[in-house]
Amino acid sequence: MVGGAQATDHNGAVVPVAPTFVLAALGAPVVAGLATLLLPRGRTSLRVLLATCGPLASLLFLGTHLRRYGVASNEEGTTAVEWVPSLHLDLGFLVDGLATFFALLVAGVGVLIILYSRAYFGDDGPSLARFFPALGFFTSSMLGVVLADHLLLTVLFWEATSISSFFLIGWDREDETAVKQAMQAFVTTGLGGLSLLGGVLLLGDATGTWRWSELVAGAADIGSGGTVVAAFIMIFIGAASKSAQWPFHYWLPGAMLAPTPVSAFLHSATMVKAGVFLLGRLLPVFGLLSIWLPVVVAFGAVTMLLGAVLALRQHDLKLIFAYTTVSQLGLFTCMYGLGGAANGHGGAAIDWDLSQIASHALYKAPLFLVAGALAHRVGARRLPELFGLWRRRVPGARLLVVVLLAAGYALAGGPGTVNFVAKELFFGAVHHAAGSHPLLVVVSAMAVLTAMCNVAIAVRLTATVFGWRTGVEDEGIEPVIASHAHDRWGSLLWLPAAGLVALQYVGGLVPPLWNSAFRRIEVNANDVAFADGLPWLWEPFLHPGVPLAMSVAAIVFGVALGCSSRWRGEVADLHDRIYPASYRLVLGRGHRAFHTFQTGRLRNYLVLMFSMLLLSISWAAWIDPSMLRLPDGVAPFESLTGLLLGAVVCAAAIALPLVTERVVRVMVLGASGFAVVGLYLVYQAPDLALTQLMFEIISVILFLLVLRLLPRLDRRPRISPAPRLVFAALIGITIGWMTLLAGHAAEQRNGDAASLGAFFEEHSLEGSELTNGRGGEGRNIVNVILVDFRGFDTLGEITVLATAALGVWSMLPGRRRHEDDQGDASGQATPVVEVGS
Amino acid sequence: MTTVLAVCVAVIVTVSIYLMLSRELKSIAMGVFLLGHGANLAIIAMSGSPVLPGGDLRQPPILGDGHLVDALPQALILTAIVINFAVMGFFLTLLVLTARRTGTLNVDELALEDPPADGPVLENGGIGGMGR
Repeated sequence: MVGGAQATDHNGAVVPVAPTFVLAALGAPVVAGLATLLLPRGRTSLRVLLATCGPLASLLFLGTHLRRYGVASNEEGTTAVEWVPSLHLDLGFLVDGLATFFALLVAGVGVLIILYSRAYFGDDGPSLARFFPALGFFTSSMLGVVLADHLLLTVLFWEATSISSFFLIGWDREDETAVKQAMQAFVTTGLGGLSLLGGVLLLGDATGTWRWSELVAGAADIGSGGTVVAAFIMIFIGAASKSAQWPFHYWLPGAMLAPTPVSAFLHSATMVKAGVFLLGRLLPVFGLLSIWLPVVVAFGAVTMLLGAVLALRQHDLKLIFAYTTVSQLGLFTCMYGLGGAANGHGGAAIDWDLSQIASHALYKAPLFLVAGALAHRVGARRLPELFGLWRRRVPGARLLVVVLLAAGYALAGGPGTVNFVAKELFFGAVHHAAGSHPLLVVVSAMAVLTAMCNVAIAVRLTATVFGWRTGVEDEGIEPVIASHAHDRWGSLLWLPAAGLVALQYVGGLVPPLWNSAFRRIEVNANDVAFADGLPWLWEPFLHPGVPLAMSVAAIVFGVALGCSSRWRGEVADLHDRIYPASYRLVLGRGHRAFHTFQTGRLRNYLVLMFSMLLLSISWAAWIDPSMLRLPDGVAPFESLTGLLLGAVVCAAAIALPLVTERVVRVMVLGASGFAVVGLYLVYQAPDLALTQLMFEIISVILFLLVLRLLPRLDRRPRISPAPRLVFAALIGITIGWMTLLAGHAAEQRNGDAASLGAFFEEHSLEGSELTNGRGGEGRNIVNVILVDFRGFDTLGEITVLATAALGVWSMLPGRRRHEDDQGDASGQATPVVEVGS
Repeated sequence: MTTVLAVCVAVIVTVSIYLMLSRELKSIAMGVFLLGHGANLAIIAMSGSPVLPGGDLRQPPILGDGHLVDALPQALILTAIVINFAVMGFFLTLLVLTARRTGTLNVDELALEDPPADGPVLENGGIGGMGR
């Protein structure tokens, strides 16, 4: 569907358009972020304004695009720029409902976060300079993830979000823990990204399609072969690691060491939702797989409950919200998992999924923002320190408390908020699905327990800030009041949060407003009951059913749990040990392997390498025992000259280790070389003989010259020769035997027209159809091969020669004489001879 | 002839590996050069015997009359000879430099030798240095 969105100009000709706006929207944040670097230091407000322009421009471009071309269906991709046509890779975008929603969410929250960061960081100029480019980079990558149509493009932007989030989490470079946690988040999500890459490659290879839009269009033909299932599992691992699903969820609470604007942006509204987004993309593609529902729902449900229970047992506000985020991400995963059941069983289980996700962003981001603001204003972020905050006279704290409680009420899913209806929808979906498979009843129970924990957390928050005895009580800590709280930007600490949370109540109390905004982008809507959008507040009560009963149960038991004095202490998540333990394991094993193999002794390396050679040949012989038989018709020798020369070669070689006088040794080495020259002559290779002869002469002379510069052989006891000899003979006999087999096989095949040698013989002078009519134009076949057929080989050979010459030249004793006079400990006074010059 | 070459290759490889396992860098160098000969002989064996079954000789790989020997192994070996020579020149220079710097050509002593202060030194003593 390349160029699916097209318009016609006045003459009726089709002109490709739309994607330019998408491309501009994508690039705006990073461009604006980088542009802030050009501003002079100290102009913080200007910097913030410029950085805000980035996501604002994205919103504008996206809006223009939508006004002109509307929301595409998920089968209509567009292409902006052809990038690598040979890989079918181009900057193609898919602006369907899912992508539109996420893009608007990212850009919209991005604007508010930048404004908030102005108040949060104050006039901290130098460090802010780094902040906005990183944030812009992240915003652009995130927009890329959600808008990309090409599979590889998705992976590319996906990794870019991992990298940029590493910068943002480890933003405080002095804080060692923060840097460690940033590494943990990066390695975890980065490995997940590799898994995603593998899955995407498998998927593209299996289907031959590299675009999400085409995959959705041809989803019915995707089948359920092994490759497709493997692709799904690998992509799911990628999504799960990014969206902090069990057992990868540990990185998200760890990443809370980031500055609060980052936590609010990355860990509530955007990055962690990338995995959820991907599941939304995958649903139409893989939803028919029988493995989709059990896998996705199981991991989602476990994460959902685990996150909720852990959130209940935290005291740090940011950690509480981090674990509720984990829980909520589990819920989304579960939701898309149930969507698979809808496709598979012809029923309907998923509706208004984007409203669910929007609802989460609208209360979770304010919660984080207020947590950061409290740390700023009150100097406290832990529940015991916040005990009775309402009654303390801290300027501006009451406003923050009001926003906190309003968002907390939405977290609990209280009636009147969008989240209440969203919970109803989810309960409805779970209940509906439970009818098709009894095991899903367990998921229903888990969903109720999760909702209960959320209610309990909200109750506990309220009780604590009002100083009721049912809250988490004061440990006698007197919080420090932050001093730099008040400047004219101070209102930005609470305004963005208040604005976001207000939408929760507007949507909850006046659903038609919400519905009119969301109807166009809710592409997955297919539940009959809610097809018209979110209902009025009273409608669930007018038609009570199981979902309402689940809600009521969650609220009643949640309030009871929140008021009880049990389950209040802090606990640590056992999963936090996964990463450090694996890190140590890998390093420890690597260290041991390093010291086992990298001994620094040449002998050990050689023995290892030749043993591997021996092993692989033995393995081949094990598979094909005929290798061990002497081939038929092997002639012992045909040429007396050859036999004599062979004898000289062998004799010289054997003499080499026996002779001790070093000049004689060089001569013996030369003798074997000259005998080899003779063997080349017997083998009818005049070129070889000539070349070898020249090099042999130079070598002997060179060796003799060098000997003068070397110390004499030391007379210490040798390494015991017997094991060495046995090992060497074993290798030698093996190689000799292989030579015999190969040479004999070549003889059997001689004169075969299809051999490579015959090809060169035929084409040395004149070409044929095979070579497009071009021949080598030479009679000496060896020369033609070297300069023509294998010309690049010869080029490589010359390069090696030149590199070696350069190396020799750079090490020449004359060039280093000055340094050596100073640093030479041995004090050798050998006269310097220019070697090789 | 293949038999003769096979025996030569076996002997050369045995001796060169024996030399390479020794403790003296000079012997190791000789082993390396000798191994080059062994490899070249093994490659030329692939062109088959130059003697035809009737007792006639094949002709050198220059277009003309008669049976030619296979030219490809020869072209490969020609490249190998030149590279062998390059390696040898480099190796010998290294030998001289090592001897001048450390005063020894014994690999066991060289392994214990500290890297020269002005030479390239890897941080943390190389990749595996974190545990030391």
